[in-house]
Amino acid sequence: MKRTRTVASGVLTGIGTAAFIDETVFHQLLHWHHFYDKSTTDVGLVSDGLFHAGSWLAMVAGLVLYADVRRRGKLVPRAWWGGLCLGLGGFQLYDGTFQHKGLGIHQIRYGVDLAPYDWTWNGIAVLLLAAGALLLVRASRATARTTSSYTAPTTTSRSR
Amino acid sequence: MTAAALPPAFTAAVTTAAVLGCLAYLAAAARLRARGDAWPYGRDALFCAGGAVLVAGVAEPWGSAPPFTAHMLTHLCVGMVAPLLLVLGRPLTLTLRAAPVPVRRGLVALTRARWAAVPVLPPVAALLDFGGLWLLYRTPLLSVSHHSAWLNAAVHLHILLAGVLFSFGLLALDPVRHRPGMALRAAVLLAAGAAHAVLAKSLYAAGPPGTSFAAADLHLASQVMYYGGDAVELALAAVVACRWYRAEGRALRRARRTDRPTPRGTTAAAATRW
Repeated sequence: MKRTRTVASGVLTGIGTAAFIDETVFHQLLHWHHFYDKSTTDVGLVSDGLFHAGSWLAMVAGLVLYADVRRRGKLVPRAWWGGLCLGLGGFQLYDGTFQHKGLGIHQIRYGVDLAPYDWTWNGIAVLLLAAGALLLVRASRATARTTSSYTAPTTTSRSR
Repeated sequence: MTAAALPPAFTAAVTTAAVLGCLAYLAAAARLRARGDAWPYGRDALFCAGGAVLVAGVAEPWGSAPPFTAHMLTHLCVGMVAPLLLVLGRPLTLTLRAAPVPVRRGLVALTRARWAAVPVLPPVAALLDFGGLWLLYRTPLLSVSHHSAWLNAAVHLHILLAGVLFSFGLLALDPVRHRPGMALRAAVLLAAGAAHAVLAKSLYAAGPPGTSFAAADLHLASQVMYYGGDAVELALAAVVACRWYRAEGRALRRARRTDRPTPRGTTAAAATRW
């Protein structure tokens, strides 16, 4: 079973999606974040750069792994969605706690009381992480129940 | 502050070399097809597009843009987009197949030479490329090169060659002595992408030492560099990922033919094939 590949694909796609949503919605559409915040420290800039570059790579790696697992007929949708939720939540929690609060790279908004925004942002992250863990547990239980008789893929193999 | 224009002789030389290179490429591809070999037309298109982007880069059709933004657009064309497209055309493979035998022998010896393998190692090529960029923008090199047209030309030549070396070594589409593994490629791409993004973002706040570009110019140029770098990083990652996918597919088919379970062990071997 290539369960690890399914989960890795979900996590990587989740990280890439979260970064993409962050960039599009909060930078480009709402203008809540800015391209450069003058309070940014050197270490914050490096962390942000690494994260930014990494999120593109995560997206590409996640999608190609998905295609590979699907081609092998080893895709477990529930495990993939679990991984996706973990990636989304993990990105958001890291961004909201370490990058926003620890390094002070930028904040969610400027000129308003931040507390409700921070609690909402990190709260959603924790919910996503919990949902991801739940889905993964249920996926592995479902496999454990059927593993003796049923090892066939959940989707049909597309290769001949 | 105005950026120094590239010397007309340099622009002319690069344009001539690009046009001749594309014609030679097309002639070699035609020769291959005439004798019945397969050579996808897409590669001709990629290589010629690379030549066109290179010519556009040195001809600077955006001359009326603010000086640092114009410089950055040139940098993007000459150092990133053109090298990627040229390398995607697999010029070395084509030459190895189409050139006369003595030339082929020389090139094969070159691809097997120990010394030639060093600069195309992804970490070394990345250091030459992105280290050069940090030198250019974080030392007075850029302001000095503005007073010397030939130093400016040399800087652009370095940007072009380092860009070609980086794409060539990272993608390893053409034969090389050591084919880098997936982990090394991913790590180098991550480090290079981060180095590029950090440099681009820092230019938003502080321009290169010794220069005095307007704030609006710096802001626009740094965003051009940041998002342009993203696009090229994404393209490089997509090429590497697609090649991994195809190599896995070949390993999978081999395993199914021999009716073995798909082993993980074939993955590394397949990924190093070309």
